[in-house]
Amino acid sequence: MKRTTRRQFLQTSSAATAGAATWLALGRPPAYAQKRELTFLSWNHFVPASDDELRKQAEAFSKASGVSVRVDTIAHLQLTAKFAAEAQSQSGHDLIRTHDAMPFLFESQLADVGDVVDKLGKQQGGWYPFAAEACQTKAGWRAVPWFWISFPATYNMAHFKKAGFEHPKSWDDLLQQGKVLKKQGNPVGIAISFCGDANTTAWSVLWSYGAKVFEADGKTPAINSDKTAQVIEWWKELFKDAMEPEVLSWDDASNNRFILSGKGSWIHNPISPYNAALKEKMPIADDINHHTSPAGPAGIHSAVPILGLGIWKFSKNIDVAKEFIQFLFRKENYDAWIVASNAFNHPPLRHLADHPIWARNPKFAMLPKEAEYAHPRGWPAKPSDAAQRVDEAYVLPSMTAKAVNGMPTKRAMEWAQDQVARAIKGQLKVG
Amino acid sequence: MAVRPRALEALELVPASGRLSRLRGWWEQEHVFGYGLILPALLLLACLVAYPFGMAIYFSLSDYWVGSPGPFVGLTNFREILGNDVFRQTVQNSFVFTGVALTLKTVLGVWLAVLLARDVRFKRLLRGAVLLPWVIPTALSTLGWWWMFDSLYSVVNWTAIHLGLISAPGPNWLGQSNYAMAAVIVVNTWRGLPFFAITVLAGLMSIPREFYEAAEVDGATSRQRFWYVTLPLLKPVLAVVILFSTIFTFSDFNIVQVLTRGGPVNTTHLFATLAYQIGLQGGNLGQGAAISLFLFPMLALVVFLQLRYIRKD
Repeated sequence: MKRTTRRQFLQTSSAATAGAATWLALGRPPAYAQKRELTFLSWNHFVPASDDELRKQAEAFSKASGVSVRVDTIAHLQLTAKFAAEAQSQSGHDLIRTHDAMPFLFESQLADVGDVVDKLGKQQGGWYPFAAEACQTKAGWRAVPWFWISFPATYNMAHFKKAGFEHPKSWDDLLQQGKVLKKQGNPVGIAISFCGDANTTAWSVLWSYGAKVFEADGKTPAINSDKTAQVIEWWKELFKDAMEPEVLSWDDASNNRFILSGKGSWIHNPISPYNAALKEKMPIADDINHHTSPAGPAGIHSAVPILGLGIWKFSKNIDVAKEFIQFLFRKENYDAWIVASNAFNHPPLRHLADHPIWARNPKFAMLPKEAEYAHPRGWPAKPSDAAQRVDEAYVLPSMTAKAVNGMPTKRAMEWAQDQVARAIKGQLKVG
Repeated sequence: MAVRPRALEALELVPASGRLSRLRGWWEQEHVFGYGLILPALLLLACLVAYPFGMAIYFSLSDYWVGSPGPFVGLTNFREILGNDVFRQTVQNSFVFTGVALTLKTVLGVWLAVLLARDVRFKRLLRGAVLLPWVIPTALSTLGWWWMFDSLYSVVNWTAIHLGLISAPGPNWLGQSNYAMAAVIVVNTWRGLPFFAITVLAGLMSIPREFYEAAEVDGATSRQRFWYVTLPLLKPVLAVVILFSTIFTFSDFNIVQVLTRGGPVNTTHLFATLAYQIGLQGGNLGQGAAISLFLFPMLALVVFLQLRYIRKD
C-alpha cells in the first residue's frame, strides 16, 4: 500500500481547497455539472388537465432551448408559507406562481419583469387594468399577470325551476330565493370559514353594497360603516334562512361537493364543479349552469383571483425564466392551455381573451364579461401587502362568522376594523 | 476505551514515535478525550437547537419581515400581539386544549397501561397495536380524522344518527367553536395516548411483585393496591411523561393545521398555528417569533420545577 507523505497530502488538499474556493467565489457549479435547470413552483390546479398541459409545454421549451424545466406543484394554501421560506433562505425555485397581492408582499424579493410585460402587452392588445394593477408595485412590475379566474355563480337549474325561479340577479334575490330553496331541501352555500373562496365572496359582497375595507389612500381602515352593517345583516339572514351551518367549516372543495352531491342549489364559485362533473360524466352536469356574479345596490363587483408569474431576485436563471414566460404566452400555447383547463384560465391580455371556447358553450358565455366587474383586493385602494394580510388572516369571513354566531353587528365590525388597522400598520418597508 | 497503541503499532499503521504519537498521548488524556466524545452531540445541539432559538429571539425583538431584516424594536412585538384580540383568544385556546387533552391522556393512559400490564392472550400484538396512532405520521392520520369530521359526509355523525344517539344532521364538528375544540382535543388525545400508555406500562413493569404480594397479605383490595402501591411508585415516571406531554401539547401544530387551520373564527388557533399564519403567511417574522416564544418563560419554569421535584424524589 502506498503511503501518503505529509507533503503530498498538503499539496492535494491545498489544490482541492483552492478549487473549491474558486468555485464558491464564482458562485456556480463546476462546468461538468452545468446542465441548466429552470424550476417553477406552482399550485395544484383545480382543473388538473391544465397542469398536464403546462408540463407538456415546459417539456417543449426544454427541447427548444436546451434548458430543462421542472414544474413543482403544491396545494394552493401552502404556497405563501413556501414562498416565505424561499425568500428567507434566498434559495429555492426560480419562478413562482403569485396570487393576489403576493407581488406586494414580496416586492423587495422579486425581480423586475417590466420588459416582458411591455412586450407581451404590445403584442396581445394590452392588459386588463385590474390584472395589471395586481402585479405593478411602486417599485415596478414584480410579476407578469398570468391568468385570472372568473368567479360567477354556479347553480342547479332543476332546483331553481322547481322553486319557480330562473336565478338570482342580486344578492337580495339570492336571499329571498334561497329561503324558498332551503325549505325545498336545496339550500344555497357560501363558505364563511378559513378558505380562499370565503375571502373572495366576502370582498365581492362588500363592494356590491358600496362598502369597503380600506379608504382609497390605502392607509385608513374603512370597514366599520353603515354599509358594512347592511352587508352583515344580509349575511345573518342568509345564514339562518337559506344556508346550512356546515358553511362555517367549509374548505375550498366543500362547496364543489355540496353542489355536485345534488343537495345544494347555488354556490359562488368558478366553473370547476361543472368541469369535474363533465370529466366524471356525472348526470348532474346537465343541470349545472353559471350566471354572472349577483349585483348589489352599488352594482356588480367581483374580487376575482388574479394569478401572476414572478421571478425571485436570487434566481440565477432570470433570463431563461423570462424566455419561458414569453413561451407560455405564445398564442398557440396559451390557447392550448385555456382549452386544457376547459375555459377555467382567463387571459389577462385582451387579444388572447378572444378565444372561441367561451362562445361555444352557452354555459361559459358570460364568463369573460366578469372582467368588467373585477378589482384587485383592497379596492378602491391600490392592492397592497395589507390587503394580502387581511386575506391571510381571514378577517372578512371571521367578521361574518362572529356576527352569524351571535356577536352584535357593531362589535363584529369594530373587531374587523381593529384587525384591518393591524394589517395596515404592518405595512412593509420598501427596499 | 481507546484502542491499545501496541495493537496499532503491530499493524504498522502508526509510527511508534514522532509528532503523531505525541498527539495521541494528548488525545488520550481523559479530559480531552471525554470532551471529544461529546463534541459531535454538542455541535448538533448548537446547530439545530441553540442557533434557531437564538435567531427566534433576535427576530422577536426586531422589526423583521420575510427576506428583509429590520431594526431592533425591543418588546414592541410582544406589546403588539398582546393587544391583538386573536392572540388573547389563542392563549385561552392553548390552555383549554392542553389542560383537557393532558388530563384525558393521563387518566386514560394510566388506565390503558394497567389493562395492558395484565396477562392476556396476544399480549405483544396488543401492545404493538396500541402504539399505532403514535407511529403513523400525524399529518396523514389527521387527514383521516378530517374526513371523519367532514360537514357533509361525517362518518361520526352518520354512525351516531343510525345508532339513534343524536338526531340528524348532528353537530358540525369543525364549524362550531366548542365542537371544533372538542374535535382537535379528541385527535390529540388519540395520538398522544400511546406515548403515555407505553411509558407508564414500563413504569408498572418495574414495580417489584413483592409489594403487591405484601399488600395482598395485608388484605388490600385491588383499588387500594392501585392507590397505595401502584400510583405512588409511578409518580416519577408520570411526572416525566406529563412534563414531556405538556410541552408537546402546547406546541402542537399538525392537528389543528390539518383539521381547522385555526378556525372557526380563530377558536382553535394554538401558538404554533397563529405564529405560522402571522409570521410565514403574513410575512411578519418578528411578531410570529414573538408568538412562538411567548410561552417559553412559563414552560421553562414548569420544566425547572418539575425536574427539581423529580430529583428530590
